[in-house]
Amino acid sequence: MIEQALDQLARWLMQADAGLGLVALVGLSMSLSHLFALVANRLTPRQIVSQLILDALVLSLALVLASLINMLLLRAFAGAAINPGELLAKLGPSLIPGLFYCFVAAPYISDLIASVIWALIHLNMITLLHMHFNVSYGQALLLATPGFVLALLLVIAVFHQGWQRAYRQLASTLAPTAES
Amino acid sequence: MAPLQAIRIQLAGQRRLAGVLGWLVLLSGLSSLVISLHAGPMLLSALSPGDLAMVLKAVAVLGLLLIPISGVISVTSQFAFWRGWLGGLPQPADIFSEPAAATPEAAATRCTIVYLDGIHQSERDHPPRVAAFLALMESRLPSHVRLFKGLETYTVTTARLADDAGGSWFWRRLFALQEHHPNPWVGLICAVLVQANNVIKVGISSDRRYGPILNYELALKVAQRLAEQGFQPGHAPDGRPQELVLLGYSGGGEMALGMAEYLRRICHCPVRSMTFCGVFSGNQLLEQVGEIAMIVGDRDPVAAFGRIAYPGRSPLLPLSNWNKAVKRGQVRRHCINGLSHNGLSGPFSDRNRNAVIAAITGGL
Repeated sequence: MIEQALDQLARWLMQADAGLGLVALVGLSMSLSHLFALVANRLTPRQIVSQLILDALVLSLALVLASLINMLLLRAFAGAAINPGELLAKLGPSLIPGLFYCFVAAPYISDLIASVIWALIHLNMITLLHMHFNVSYGQALLLATPGFVLALLLVIAVFHQGWQRAYRQLASTLAPTAES
Repeated sequence: MAPLQAIRIQLAGQRRLAGVLGWLVLLSGLSSLVISLHAGPMLLSALSPGDLAMVLKAVAVLGLLLIPISGVISVTSQFAFWRGWLGGLPQPADIFSEPAAATPEAAATRCTIVYLDGIHQSERDHPPRVAAFLALMESRLPSHVRLFKGLETYTVTTARLADDAGGSWFWRRLFALQEHHPNPWVGLICAVLVQANNVIKVGISSDRRYGPILNYELALKVAQRLAEQGFQPGHAPDGRPQELVLLGYSGGGEMALGMAEYLRRICHCPVRSMTFCGVFSGNQLLEQVGEIAMIVGDRDPVAAFGRIAYPGRSPLLPLSNWNKAVKRGQVRRHCINGLSHNGLSGPFSDRNRNAVIAAITGGL
């Protein structure tokens, strides 16, 4: 029953093949989710746009690195030799939920939305690995998890650094005027 | 293009977007109601279970998209104010620079209670039952304590919801619709939308990213309104220290705790918080704030839900701001038997208001 549902999901994702362009769009969506941290610090529109694009590129790079980890693991443990471009074309659609990452900007429910999106991405990756490379779901889980964890850690690192810096700047803006 | 013009165009675009979204929600709700009320059995039987499932899925997806979108729009207007695009963001140092003429009543005041209403609030004036409660409480306060009411808890400017920047276009039309079509369904939709808007504001105040700015803006507004009433920071004319008590009902409790630390800094006086039937996160800066008094009812499911919705109040996270405050002995809890969140056994009801007022005045 579960396997049938996962097979169905994989077939749908394979039809939505979009590749590297999707990675860049997901990076941009993730970058947009923290737009208000930039607005909070009263940056100029030009600074905000350049920061958004820079963050989007770094986040896209994190996702590409995670795919490369998957590629290496596939070659090492499943014996599947595949080039990076082909891998991204095949596994890229697993990132489709990430297109909605900009909704993480919503107040308070942001952590819930982010968790759901990351869980969906991981689930998609597992089903696509199973369908494209003919590995069992158990093996697919083991193969997909290291890359997923790396991507998650890199994204957290980028956001944490960016948000902490923004927060410190905001605190320094409020403190001299408001502190007794 | 001049920057000011670009900003105006951007804000106009946001207002139009908010308006369109609001009308979409309203129209879809109204059409669903009309169909369900007037559709004959033939029409309903024409829909197969598959069609119904598809409609339900579409409604669920629409709901899932609308919730974060409305949250983001709400945050946008708040940040526009913070950026100074809407004007009126005062400097803390300027608020008390020109003291208003103090009335004899203000001169004798050593403690000011600021009342922050629940999420039903859309106007500066409180609903009749709340107004009666506040009038009764005011009559029982000691002579040195003053009650400050009629504060717009869920707007960052000193404006009612219908005049609030960003959403005024939508709210004015909604309230006009309610005025011209005074039937229960329209009234219900209006109440639901007002409460949804205010719940989002409570969410923004609790959010670790946006909370500091909203709470700071609210603290500035309260300080401004207090200054207009003759409040002066520091000591009362008789030399004794002034004190502020933020009294919040329901979601007003979150706003009270959120702005307490900022208000303490701006007004240079000790600030305490008091909540009744409060729904709050406890994520805020609480270390320098005075005592936090919680008046709770043993039949209040909404306040109980707050403890689940806000993990920071769970004992499983001992390092959260709230649990640290509890450990310091900063939190005092007063339970009233038979008190629920609202209605006939709520805090404003004839049955319970005396007990609630006694708990509030007893804690002063």
